[in-house]
Parts: sequence; C-alpha cells; structure tokens
Amino acid sequence: MEKLIEIKNLTYTYEPDEEGQTGYTAVKNVSLDINKGEFVAVLGHNGSGKSTLAKLMNAIFEPTEGTVTVKGIPSVSEENGDRIRRIVGMVFQNPDNQIVATIVEDDVAFGPENLGVEPAEIRRRVDEALKTVNMYEHREREPHRLSGGQKQRVAIAGVLAMRTECMILDEPTAMLDPKGRQEVINTVLRLNKEQGMTVVLITHFMEEAVLADRVLIMDGGSVISQGTPREIFSKPGFLREHGLDVPQSTELCLELGIEDCVLTVDECVEKLSLMMGGAV
Amino acid sequence: MSVPIELRDVSHFYSPGTAMQVAAIKNISLTIEEGEFVGIIGHTGSGKSTLISHFNGLLKPSKGTVLVDGEDISQSKEVLRAARFKVGLCFQYPEAQLFEETVAKDIAFGPKNMKLPEDEIARRVAEAAKYVGLRPEMLDKSPFDLSGGEKRRAAIAGVMAMEPKVLVLDEPAAGLDPRGKKEIHELIRNYRSRTGSTVVLVSHSMEDIANLADRVIVMNHGEIAMNGTVDEVFSHASDLQTMGLNVPEITRVFTALHDKGFDVPPNIYSVKEGVRILRALLEGGVG
Repeated sequence: MEKLIEIKNLTYTYEPDEEGQTGYTAVKNVSLDINKGEFVAVLGHNGSGKSTLAKLMNAIFEPTEGTVTVKGIPSVSEENGDRIRRIVGMVFQNPDNQIVATIVEDDVAFGPENLGVEPAEIRRRVDEALKTVNMYEHREREPHRLSGGQKQRVAIAGVLAMRTECMILDEPTAMLDPKGRQEVINTVLRLNKEQGMTVVLITHFMEEAVLADRVLIMDGGSVISQGTPREIFSKPGFLREHGLDVPQSTELCLELGIEDCVLTVDECVEKLSLMMGGAV
Repeated sequence: MSVPIELRDVSHFYSPGTAMQVAAIKNISLTIEEGEFVGIIGHTGSGKSTLISHFNGLLKPSKGTVLVDGEDISQSKEVLRAARFKVGLCFQYPEAQLFEETVAKDIAFGPKNMKLPEDEIARRVAEAAKYVGLRPEMLDKSPFDLSGGEKRRAAIAGVMAMEPKVLVLDEPAAGLDPRGKKEIHELIRNYRSRTGSTVVLVSHSMEDIANLADRVIVMNHGEIAMNGTVDEVFSHASDLQTMGLNVPEITRVFTALHDKGFDVPPNIYSVKEGVRILRALLEGGVG
C-alpha cells in the first residue's frame, strides 16, 4: 500500500501566550500512516488533539518534535507547506468561516487562482468540482443564501478544484441539520469510493465513523486505539471511558449479547430478524 | 394553569415592503404550557431561530400577537421588559458571548440587569453554577481559561441565573463530543426537575428530542408542519424525511422490525426500552 502521509513521533506544543502561560502540548508522540485511497475517521472528545493533528497533516503547523511527510515532502518550511497543501486540502467545521467570495463559482476558483492555474483550466476545474458535489446549478448564487449542507459542499468543491489527493475534514457536519449532514457525508463517501480521494474525517458522530475503513481514537494528544469500525465499536465501555459512544444499533445488539458487532440500522434489523425468526 | 407563552397568528418578514421581502415564519399559532418540555425540530432555515426570538420579544412580529403570561408584550415597555426576564433565551454557541473578567461576573450579568440586590445575585450565581456543574473555584477564573464544554456551561448558567419561567435553548449541545452532550442534557433535566420550569429545546438530534421532550413542534419552511407528542410526531417517519429530518436510529430499527411482522412496537425511543422489549420477546420465544 502506498503511504500518502507518514507521521513519526510527532509532538506539537502551542507557544506560550503573551501572559506567559506555559505552552500546551496538544499532540504527543504520534506515529501513524495514512494510505493512499484510504478513508480514516478520527474520534476523540473535545480537546483530545484531533484538530491539532489535522493542522499538522496539512502543514498549517510545523512539528515541535518528530516529522510529518506528505508524499516524501517533510513539513519543515513555508515552501514545503505550500507544496503539501496542494496535495492535502482541508474543510473546516464552520462553513461561514471558509467562504471568501460573494458568488459560489468565484469561491471555488479561489484556490486554483492562488496556485496560478490558467483561466481556461480554472473554468474547467470549477465546473467539474461543482458538478461532483451537485452544486453546479447553484454556481451563480451568493454563498450566504445557501443552506449549511450546500455551503459545506461548496467548500469541498474548493478543495477539489485544487486537485488535491487527500481531503481532511474537521467536523464538517457539526453545525448541519440531518439532511445537510447526509449530503456532506454522501459526497465524501462518493469522492473516496469513486475517485479514490484519500479522506481523513474528524467527527463526533459515531454513525459517520462506521463508514470509514479505519477508525483512530485520540485522547490526551495520543492515538490510543485504532482498527476497523467493527473492532472499535465492539468496545463500548472503552469508548465511553474516553468520552465517546457507539451507535444506537450497535449498543442494542451488544446489550442483547450479539457477538458480531453490528454498525448500521440495516445490519441490526437483519441480525435481530434472524434471531427472532421463530417469533413471527 | 397559566400559559407562559402564546403566539397568535404570528408572521415575521425580513426586508418588509421591498422586493426582497421573505416570510421567515408565517401564521404561527402555538402555546407553551407551564411545566412542559417542548422540543422544536426543523431543517436549517425553517424558521426555528426566528420563532424562538419572538418568545421574549427579541424580534417583533410583523403581524400577529405574542403573549407572555397572558399579556401582549407589545402593549408597553414594562411588559416587554418583564417578558425578557420571564423567558430566558440561550442561543447557539452561547460561549461566543462571554465577555466579563470572571466567570462569576458573566453569570451575574443577567441578574444585574434585573436590578436585583447584591446578595440575591450572589445566591443565584452560586446556584446556577451548581446546576451546570462548575466548581466554586472556577468562578474566579477568566471565562477564556475554561475548556470549550465549561464555557458552554457557564453561558447556560448565565441564562439560568435569571431564573426564567421558561428556559429556551437553541442547540445547546452543538459541536460537543458525546460525553459533553450527555452532560448538557443531564443538567437541563436536573434544572427542570428542581425548578419545575418550562423548557423549550431546539435540536437537530432526533435522539435527544425523543429522549427529553414531552411535545414536539416541527417547523418546515416557516410554518408549523406538526405539533404533537413524541409518539405522534415520530410516527410520521416518511413525512419527516421529506422535510430533511428523521426519526431516532433506535426507532428506525423497531419500525423496520414491526413492518417485517415481528411483534414489537414501532415507537421505541431509547436503547434501554428496546433491550427490555427484545429480551422479553426472545426469552418468551425460547420458553
């Protein structure tokens, strides 16, 4: 498997502030790889270090100790940072903080314009990106008139237009209603499955994490556990100790003593139907 | 029984009288009864925030009447002022509004505006802090030194310290991790059982609404689409889905089992209840 992001013994300490408060170490000695085409979900309670790790992965921050290497490029300088951000794009929680233009398509064009891409190519990329996230028909609208889910899809299109290979999403659905959440997650899944986009999704929603290939659990700045969703969600006690939870379908089946961990409503219904076969 | 909040045929237009006029809410009539726990759900832009901003006169209706404790709040400044204190509004991400030097001063801001005596303010600050689980030593800290979850709780305490008859919370748990969410819900539940106050909760989490509320109001495109008990509202799964909403995950499991012909109720809202029913059924089946 080709490694896209390699992280070795990574530690990050925030600089002390002006009032002389001591620096806070948000990420402690983390080593992990993100493989090309992989969909990785990162879970952890507020303050566990997830967002800091994300900002280290796309070189917004440089390591205090250890290394982050993206396709062989170490995140050690402004210049390398720029190169890394052409490979690894980022989508943040609040869509209102990342939309810069007054027209949807101008916003999507912002990234490639900054990269110095020629106008005809920008036009092509913007149209393609907006079609991919199903926002092409809204290309001439004002972003502030869009719903939260639509705004987040515009932000995703902005990353796509930069032709990155990896997308890091930091709680992209935290502020959205159920429909908006579904729209964003479906878009992310499609990009991963159909276009081979590498995805790192930071989330507090367990039902989003079950869709990933691999789940990482962070606490106290360290990765304390990782595995497939089935491995991770079969340990509800462990998850709760770390401020997390399991989906309701999973909890129901575990409580009933069903050993294979179910992850979705459909799996749960199927399992229970088999068990109750005689009860119809 | 008194009616703390009543809306009679209330509409609110943004940019009224211009070509851009938009009705954020249309012809809303509703009552919030004393002691009730009402949940409000609806897609983004369905008018939820506009609606609750009318509950204490923060927004004036373009049309219609808002009554707090039976009095039309547009009749005088005094009645409006009283309504502001009777109905405590806590907006989304309330921690963004923390601004005082200490947590205690921030919580005291509301009661001070009410011009209460100092000792009463102190009592309320201490009590509200206790409700939200902020330890006394935290009260002298700067609000900016608190963690995200603590800031959120300090902001909620500020509204609770006004001891409003009706506590209105807009997505109080948004952006928090599962444990933080549970803590917020627990403190709302405790606050309500100790004070008996009326609570209105706006949320995008169907699980939370089903667990906490007695009655659910569903907003859709600025109008009330449904208004009923948890059972009545969540029995309309497909209508809710059309409106961009859903029913709780556990309810989807039981509805599917029910529809397949199994002898289980479709209207289950908690995992605990679900486990109880299935255990009884499975044991009965074996025996």
